[in-house]
Amino acid sequence: MTETSTIKVGDYVVIQRQKYTKLHKYGSLDSIVILGKQKISLRSIAGQKYFTTFKMVPNEKNPKSGFSLEVCSEAEAKNLRDALNVQECGTDNRNILDDGESQGLKADDIDKLRGECSGSTELIEKIVENSKTFTSKTQYSQEKYLKKKSKKYCEFICIRKPTIRLLSEIYYRQKPEEIMGIRMDTLSQIVSYSGISAFGNYLLYDSGSNGLLAATMLNSIGAGTEAKLVNLHPGNEPQKQAFLALGFPQEQASRCVSVNIYSVLRQYYQGETTLNGTEPVAAGSKRKPDDDENAPVEEKRQRLEEPNPEMVTIEPKTEPTDKKLKWQLENERAVELMKGKFDCLVIAAKEHPQNIIKALLPFLKPSRPLVIFNSCREVLMDIYVDLKASGEVNGLRLASNWLRSYQILPNRTHPEVNMNGNSGFIMFGYSVS
Amino acid sequence: MSFLKPKDIIDQGDTVILYISINNMHAIDVNPTILNKKGETIENVFQTTYGALKVKELIGVKYGSKIKLSRGWAYVLQANPELWTQTLPHRTQIIYTPDISMILFQLEIKPGSIVIESGTGSGSLSHYFIRAVKPSGQLHTFDFHEARAEQAREEFTKHGINEFVTVYHRDVCQHGFSEELNGKADAVFLDLPAPHLAVPHALKALKDEGGRFCSFSPCIEQSQRCCEELQANGFIEIQSMEILQVEDIVKTKNIPVMDLEYLKHKKPTQPAENNEVKDNSDSKKETNAKQEREIKKYLTSSAPPTMPGHTGYLTFATLPPIYAR
Ligand SMILES: C[S@@+](CC[C@H](N)C(=O)[O-])C[C@H]1O[C@@H](n2cnc3c(N)ncnc32)[C@H](O)[C@@H]1O
Repeated sequence: MTETSTIKVGDYVVIQRQKYTKLHKYGSLDSIVILGKQKISLRSIAGQKYFTTFKMVPNEKNPKSGFSLEVCSEAEAKNLRDALNVQECGTDNRNILDDGESQGLKADDIDKLRGECSGSTELIEKIVENSKTFTSKTQYSQEKYLKKKSKKYCEFICIRKPTIRLLSEIYYRQKPEEIMGIRMDTLSQIVSYSGISAFGNYLLYDSGSNGLLAATMLNSIGAGTEAKLVNLHPGNEPQKQAFLALGFPQEQASRCVSVNIYSVLRQYYQGETTLNGTEPVAAGSKRKPDDDENAPVEEKRQRLEEPNPEMVTIEPKTEPTDKKLKWQLENERAVELMKGKFDCLVIAAKEHPQNIIKALLPFLKPSRPLVIFNSCREVLMDIYVDLKASGEVNGLRLASNWLRSYQILPNRTHPEVNMNGNSGFIMFGYSVS
Repeated sequence: MSFLKPKDIIDQGDTVILYISINNMHAIDVNPTILNKKGETIENVFQTTYGALKVKELIGVKYGSKIKLSRGWAYVLQANPELWTQTLPHRTQIIYTPDISMILFQLEIKPGSIVIESGTGSGSLSHYFIRAVKPSGQLHTFDFHEARAEQAREEFTKHGINEFVTVYHRDVCQHGFSEELNGKADAVFLDLPAPHLAVPHALKALKDEGGRFCSFSPCIEQSQRCCEELQANGFIEIQSMEILQVEDIVKTKNIPVMDLEYLKHKKPTQPAENNEVKDNSDSKKETNAKQEREIKKYLTSSAPPTMPGHTGYLTFATLPPIYAR
C-alpha cells in the first residue's frame, strides 16, 4: 500500500465525502472540484498525505464563491457521535411529534451560525442543543438525525489515493456503461480466472472500460516483475483514465503494450507496414459501435479523449522519416509477444466476440485460461455453443453473480434494502491442443 | 513446481490436472513410482472412470494435450489455484473461487503485498494469496491444528511456492500473529470460528500506513461480533456482503409448436374426406407433418437445479494510516 505517499499536482485523487467518492485529476494548484453544488478549491491539498481529512471552509471574501480546504484535527474528524458524546436516549419514539417545530433553529439562524461557529462540530452541537426532541429520540433515530444533519453541515473531505477497488466502485456507481457494466465481483473473477500474476505474458482485448481492465491486470502483474500485458483496442488510442489514475511507475506502465487490433494483426500477418499501409487511425475511426445506446457516449469520448484523426495522420509528416513513431514501436513489441504466444486471453468487447475470438485464440498457448466478459447472456450463449463445438476450449462455464450487502448492527442486522442485480456475464475455460 | 509460473511441458514432480469432464477432474503428482501400503516402491498407476493411467508417461507431455487412458481419454492441464480448489484433498471446509476473488480484490492484494491469513485450513485460499503476492510479497498463514499446518507446508513445497509463504502452527486468538509481524502486514484475513478475538491482533499486525481487513464467517452472529470489535479498534469502512456465483447451463431446446388453427375450417374437399372414421389416422399423419415443420429451436440457459445458497458473510474494513486513526 502506498496510502502514505504525498499528494502531488498531476496525480489523480479520490475525493471522498462521507460515503460519496469521486475521481478527480489534480491537474494544477488551481484545480477545483464540484461536489453537489459546491465548488471546492484543492489548492491546499498539495504536499499533504493521502488519507488526510480536510474541512471545507467558505471563502472569506465571498462565501458564495465556494470553499477552500483546511487540514482538520483528527479529534474533529472523528465520528460525530463520539464528538457529541450522545448517551441519553429514549427507549422508543412514541413521544416524538414531528410538528416542524422540533428544531428550534430556523434555516436562517443556521446559516448565520455557520458563519459564527469556528468548527462544524460546534455547529452541530448548537443544532442539537436547539432540537427539543433530540434527547427523547431513540438512539436509532438520533443516529439518523445526526447523519442527516452531518450530511448538510459537516463538510469533511478525505483525499484518498486511487486503487482498483475505489475506482471500480466509482465507475460502477457513476457510469456503469462506461465500464461495460463490469461489476466488482465480476472484475474480481476476471482476475482469478485469467490467472494473471507476476509471471507470464497476457493478452487483453478491451473495447472500452476507461482503462479499468488494463489497469486491473497490470496491477496484478505488479511493479518490478517480468510479466507483460498486450492491450488490444479498436480505436485511435486506448481508453486509459483508470490506468493513469493508478499512477503506475514508468517501468510497470511500459510493460502494458497498447495497440490497435487492426493495425497489429495486419502487421503480424503482412509484415512491417509502411506509413500509408498502416492507417490504424482510419481503421479505428471507421468502426462505429453498432450498439445505438453506446454510440453517443463513444462519439463524445472520441472527441474528448482521443486525438482527432486528422491531427494524427498529419503527425507522421512532421516526424523525421527514419524515426519510428511510438505506435509503430508498440506494434513491433506486440508482434514479438504474439509470436511467443500468451498465457491468458481476456476479451471484453462491445462488438460481437465471435470474430475476435477467432482472431485471437490462435495466440493463446495450450492449457491457458480464456475469459470472456459480456453484458449480455445471449451473446455468450452463442459463443459457448461455438467453442464447445470447436473442441478448442475445455472446462467451459458461463456464469453471472449475485451480490448482496448487509447492514450489520446490534439487533438491527438485515440485508440492504436495495441490491444491484446486474453483474454482467463471464465465460471461462482452458485452451487445449 | 507447477504453481510457480505458466509452463509448457510436464516435468517430473509437477502437479497436473487430469481433465476428464467438467465434473470429473483429478490432481495428480507426476511421480513415476509411489509407495504402497506396505511401504514398497511400486509403479504409479492412477485409476479413473475411464481406466488406468501410467503416471510416468505424462513426463515430457505438453500441457493441454489429449492423452490416452486404458478405456478412454483425458486432457492434462497445468494446475493453478482455480483447478486446485476444485480438486484438492479437503482437510477442512474450504473457500471457493467467487468468495476468494472478492477477498483478494477487496483486500487489494498485489505482487509485493504482505498478507496474514488464519486458519490455513486446506490451503485453498492460500494458493490464491501466494499467486497474487509473488515474487516479492509474502503470505504468513496460521493454523492451530498442527497436522494441517504441516500438510500445508508440504504442499506448498511440492507446488514450488514455499519461498512465498511462511506456515505457523499457532493459536492466533490467544497468541496473536507474533511480535515479528507487528506493523508488517498490508492485509489480514480471518476464517475462524471466533474472528472477533483476533481483531485486536490484526490491528497490531497491520502497517502504520494502514491496510485492509477481511473476515469470512458462515454465521451472522460471528460477523456481528466481528463488526463490533472492528469498530472498537478504530477500523473504518466496515462493510459486509454475500456473494454467490450463478452458473448458466446452456442447452439447445427443440420446442414443438401446436397448430390449432386448422381445426377451425373444414378441409378442402378431398376424396378421402367422406369417411370420417377412417380419416382419423390420416389427420394424425398430417398433424405430425405440420409439427415437424413447426419445431422451434431455442438456445436456452437455466440455473442449475442445485447451487450454493450460502457460503459465508464477508466483512471488510479499512485501517487508516496511523496519523488518521
Ligand atoms: C474453515 S478452515 C479454513 C479454510 C481455508 N480458508 C481454506 O480455504 O482452505 C478454518 C481453520 O482455522 C483453524 N483455526 C480455528 N481456530 C483457530 C485459532 N484460534 N488459531 C489458529 N487457527 C485456528 C482450524 O484449525 C481450521 O483449519
